[in-house]
Amino acid sequence: MSPERQSWTIDPDLDGIDLDASDFASSLPLKKVPNGDVFEASRAGDVGRLRYLLESGVNVNARDQWDSVALYYACLAGHLEAARMLLESGAICTEHTFDGDRCHYAALNLKVRKLLKAFEARPPPLSPLQAAMRDTFLGCGANRAYLEQAENTQFEISGLPSDDGSNTNYFPPDVVFFVQGRAIEAHRVILSARSPFFRRKFVTVWKERREIRFAREKLSYPALYSLIQFFYSDRLEVAVDDMEDLVRICKVCQCESLQRILEKEVIHQKYAEYKALRDIDSSIKRFILQGVSLPEEDRLPATLHEILQISLANSTTELNLDNSVKELTSSVGTMQISDFVEDLADVCVRVDKKSFRCHQVVLASRSEYFKARLSHMKDFHEGKSDIPVHTLPCLEEHDLSSEAFEKMIEYMYTDGLKDIDPDQAGEVFDAASRYLLFPLKRAVADVLLPHLENVSLEELCHWLILSDLYGVLKIREFCLDTIACNFETFADTREFRAMLLTLPPPSGDSSLRTTLPSAPGAEVNTDQRNLLDDLREKWLEAEAAELDKRDESALLFDKRLEMLVVVAELEKSDGDFANDINRS
Amino acid sequence: MSNQKKRNFQIEAFKHRVVVDPKYADKTWKVLEHAIREIYNHNASGLSFEELYRNAYNMVLHKYGEKLYSGLVTTMTSHLKEISKSIEAAQGGMFLEEMNKKWTDHNKALQMIRDILMYMDRTYIPSTQKTPVHELGLNLWRDIIIHSSKIQTRLLNTLLELVHRERTGEVINRGLMRNIIKMLMELGPSVYQEDFENPFLEVSAEFYKGESQKFIECCDCGDYLKKAERRLNEELERVTHYLDAKSEGKITNVVEKEMIANHMLRLVHMENSGLVNMLLDDKYEDLGRMYNLFRRVANGLSTIREVMTSHIRETGKQLVTDPERLKDPVEFVQRLLDEKDKYDSIIKLSFNNDKTFQNGLNSSFEYFINLNTRSPEFISLFVDDKLRKGLKGVSEEDVEVILDKVMMLFRYLQEKDVFEKYYKQHLAKRLLSGKTVSDDAERSLIVKLKTECGYQFTSKLEGMFTDMKTSQDTMQGFYASHPELGDGPTLTVQVLTTGSWPTQPSVTCNLPAEMSALCEKFRSFYLGTHTGRRLSWQTNMGTADIKATFGKGQKHELNVSTYQMCVLMLFNNADRLNYKEIEQAIEIPALDLKRCLQSMACVKGKNVLRKEPMSKDICEDDTFFVNDKFTSKLYKVKIGTVVAQKESEPEKQETRQRVEEDRKPQIEAAIVRIMKSRRTLDHNNVISEVTKQLQSRFLANPTEIKKRIESLIEREFLERDSTDRKLYRYLA
Repeated sequence: MSPERQSWTIDPDLDGIDLDASDFASSLPLKKVPNGDVFEASRAGDVGRLRYLLESGVNVNARDQWDSVALYYACLAGHLEAARMLLESGAICTEHTFDGDRCHYAALNLKVRKLLKAFEARPPPLSPLQAAMRDTFLGCGANRAYLEQAENTQFEISGLPSDDGSNTNYFPPDVVFFVQGRAIEAHRVILSARSPFFRRKFVTVWKERREIRFAREKLSYPALYSLIQFFYSDRLEVAVDDMEDLVRICKVCQCESLQRILEKEVIHQKYAEYKALRDIDSSIKRFILQGVSLPEEDRLPATLHEILQISLANSTTELNLDNSVKELTSSVGTMQISDFVEDLADVCVRVDKKSFRCHQVVLASRSEYFKARLSHMKDFHEGKSDIPVHTLPCLEEHDLSSEAFEKMIEYMYTDGLKDIDPDQAGEVFDAASRYLLFPLKRAVADVLLPHLENVSLEELCHWLILSDLYGVLKIREFCLDTIACNFETFADTREFRAMLLTLPPPSGDSSLRTTLPSAPGAEVNTDQRNLLDDLREKWLEAEAAELDKRDESALLFDKRLEMLVVVAELEKSDGDFANDINRS
Repeated sequence: MSNQKKRNFQIEAFKHRVVVDPKYADKTWKVLEHAIREIYNHNASGLSFEELYRNAYNMVLHKYGEKLYSGLVTTMTSHLKEISKSIEAAQGGMFLEEMNKKWTDHNKALQMIRDILMYMDRTYIPSTQKTPVHELGLNLWRDIIIHSSKIQTRLLNTLLELVHRERTGEVINRGLMRNIIKMLMELGPSVYQEDFENPFLEVSAEFYKGESQKFIECCDCGDYLKKAERRLNEELERVTHYLDAKSEGKITNVVEKEMIANHMLRLVHMENSGLVNMLLDDKYEDLGRMYNLFRRVANGLSTIREVMTSHIRETGKQLVTDPERLKDPVEFVQRLLDEKDKYDSIIKLSFNNDKTFQNGLNSSFEYFINLNTRSPEFISLFVDDKLRKGLKGVSEEDVEVILDKVMMLFRYLQEKDVFEKYYKQHLAKRLLSGKTVSDDAERSLIVKLKTECGYQFTSKLEGMFTDMKTSQDTMQGFYASHPELGDGPTLTVQVLTTGSWPTQPSVTCNLPAEMSALCEKFRSFYLGTHTGRRLSWQTNMGTADIKATFGKGQKHELNVSTYQMCVLMLFNNADRLNYKEIEQAIEIPALDLKRCLQSMACVKGKNVLRKEPMSKDICEDDTFFVNDKFTSKLYKVKIGTVVAQKESEPEKQETRQRVEEDRKPQIEAAIVRIMKSRRTLDHNNVISEVTKQLQSRFLANPTEIKKRIESLIEREFLERDSTDRKLYRYLA
């Protein structure tokens, strides 16, 4: 369930961090702590143990009984590699936070300090779901304006999405809060998912309201803003001065786990403040909380999953098997919005005779296709249907099975994919491409890969074609590797030969031959090279030909391919002319 | 196994549905092409977004991206060509309207097309480095519509025509203008610049060139500036209404250049209304406008400043050299102060308190005040006048204001030591005659001088005040130790320290017997307490109060100088005395005696004596007797000595000489100070350093410095270098 953590490496050119690889290696033999916890492993610099702990999912920002985080120990002891590992796993080291400042002060040497600085400029990235929701939140004018103002006056909010097309992330809010004369724009479903308080309000008193004004003086705008932003992004960033207000708001909103953490933290920060030289450092202290600090069921994916389950339960399968679109739409039109208010669905997607109750904001945030589609409701045919005002707007998607769509929205809501039937995978790849949900492809590939270990040769050929078509590089690489290693086996199968016919011939451009295949994991790489060129490269590698004989070997391989193609053509014409002739 | 095979087949079938049909691409493209046309024709409501997107997606997925893209380009091009025709066909004023309408349509359609083709935008276009759909749409619009031969010039001319009409006062549709200009900006900064901004600037330059020429022929300077300012504001307003904000600087530059920079000199020197006239008439508003406009152009402010300073110098020079003015020093200084006030308020109100202007004003004053060598004396006289009587009944703050103003003038003086000389004389007179209005004001001025010129400058002045104070104590002591003196004449002695006061060599004066006895007593009292001092009487500076009874028994108290007292006392023992007898009796200098007699015998209302023969002047063979018919409404009569307040020519020469004498040791001291620290220095540097060091007191004359150097060489303080004759060496 937990999304795979994106691995990312420090690019020295990009970060301006001039640490060599040699800097990370320790000069002294390090003690191993095979049974230590994350703090001990960081202190000892036991990278192996640390990696194991991090992969098993410990909270990297947790504090021990001495109020210290693991990163603090790694900085204190000067274990550069351990520190980097912690930072890459999302350890917080931001200026003006208690832990961040502490790590900076404790850093053993300049190298550690440099490392911290490099990561401070680029905080651990959010997962695709959280990043998309955050972009939607900040896409709203009022929210963005506050953030920019805060940025100018107080501190730099890290990781702000760049402002190149400011309306590309814009999806209109369906509710606006006014606190202390300022607006926060939000979407009902997100608030409802995160807070029972909001859910109750939105199905009762606030049901018809688009603007909600809070008149209470005590309600602090910055605190509420922080909380709502947290609802979207699973990352809480709040000024320490606002924390007590935030605790109060959490109490009202019934965000219990967050409230508990914050209450503990308020005490802690008070103690920290007592120690800090407040007169000297006038900057506003912040507190940053990553979503992983919360129990899993309180994080964004799990809460949206819950919402999704309710919506799916309410979604109906059309029993009427008549294919007439008109009738379908009209029968869909009867679905009253008031029927299932508690799921707060505001759009209905009809796929292959099944109606899914969905939430516009999630669809729009995750997929540009849906964003465009929802914004063009009025312009096209879909918006013209004569549905009564109080029913859900309905979208219809063709060429897609309801199962595949369900998988896809599961991913859209939760960023995760439980398991996937290999039969479905192809269709989900198609959906992922079509709805511009490129991370989904990788998620499917990850689920699919173990399955591919034991499929037949013929099936592998199909996966190769499929992965090439949809640009699923992980699968493509896997297939190519397998084929290259067992080339002669494949050459003997008819399916492989038949496949060769459908592929464009190898380029024969020798300059391409020595180039390495593109790195795996690149998100959108449609700039794929010729499949057979890549196969040749793989083959050369697998056969471990001497470097100076590569060109010769490559020519040999090309000849071999030509031969196979000729065979395949023969087979094909034979098959066409004499289907019944037995070719044993 | 068979199961797997089946699965494979299924997957293949799903994909091959598309690929199998060889005409698939053409068919799908037909659908999309139709959709694009419909979108342009506002018929999109009949289309299904989902279907179109799906079609476009499948085309790209199955490697027909190239076909899709080139098809899009062709369709859009042909459609835009139609639009181009309909815009071309629009008549007159409808041209822009039509273009705006089509542009809005195009934008909307473009957005829809972009969204339909989003998959291509995201995948195919980046990988083939083609232009994204939206940008493509804009580029095509630019190339086909804006740059079409029939539209490009027409559009430009229409826009420029509208601007011109607005400039000539017509009301135009600014909203439409804004939309069209915005369109040009959206098409890229280069389009905006080349297709509008640059020609616009050229036309504007032409327009303002003509207009400014017209205005300058028929308007006076103030009106012209008003018009220029209005034009400038109009252009700024135009920019905010419908131009790119970046054009603001460029268009204002044009206006500034054409309307101001090119006519700057002519405006400033315009007859009857130029800068000088504005200054004369205190036209703060016009001046402020001129300042604000000229500030925008290069050399604008320096032009104003130069004209202003030369005007101040000119008028100042006339003021200080006008012989009429020299007759009344108080009036003279008052005029200077008025002039200064006038320009101060101009700079404050109109020139934004500009520092450079203040500096210009100061340097001009410094220049012309020093043109008149008598300025130091006059300023001192002005102060004297104020402190004697002018400040009566004036509040303390006002006193401060006046004194500050005087100090300002003082700062302009180059020969501050001359001022000191005069000030000392005047102060001495005020103190001794007890004429000073306010001790506080006196002290305040001395404090100001002290901060301005240092302790040295005022130490003697302060000494004078101390003397006055101690003298009071001394007199009290004197009368306390001689209680028997109660009945006789009262003597008040002011003991003046030599050096602190401007004393003259003591002159003989035979005091009346009772007085000289009293003086002797005081002398022995004073020397008894202060041994080793020498006391000499400055009878020329004293005053006396005497009681007189005239012929008809009328009694008066006469306030006279010591000399006058001596003369009058002679008449206690004689009825008639001739000049010679008086001169022999009291033995004072003839000049003083003449003045003293003149003041008592020839001034109407004060003539306690009469002389024969009656005449204005005193002659050596005149005879004097008491004027029994003397009357006065007042009991106390003050008989002033006829003293020229201003110095007479020989006195002036003398003061001058004394100042020169005083300067010599100062110059020498400065030279020695400099040489002591530098050891060797060449002639020119010595001169410049000495001048610098003495600047706060006076402007040293180079020839005088040279003389001092010679004298120091003679006394072997310095020597000339044996090889370089211009080099001096410090000895000792």
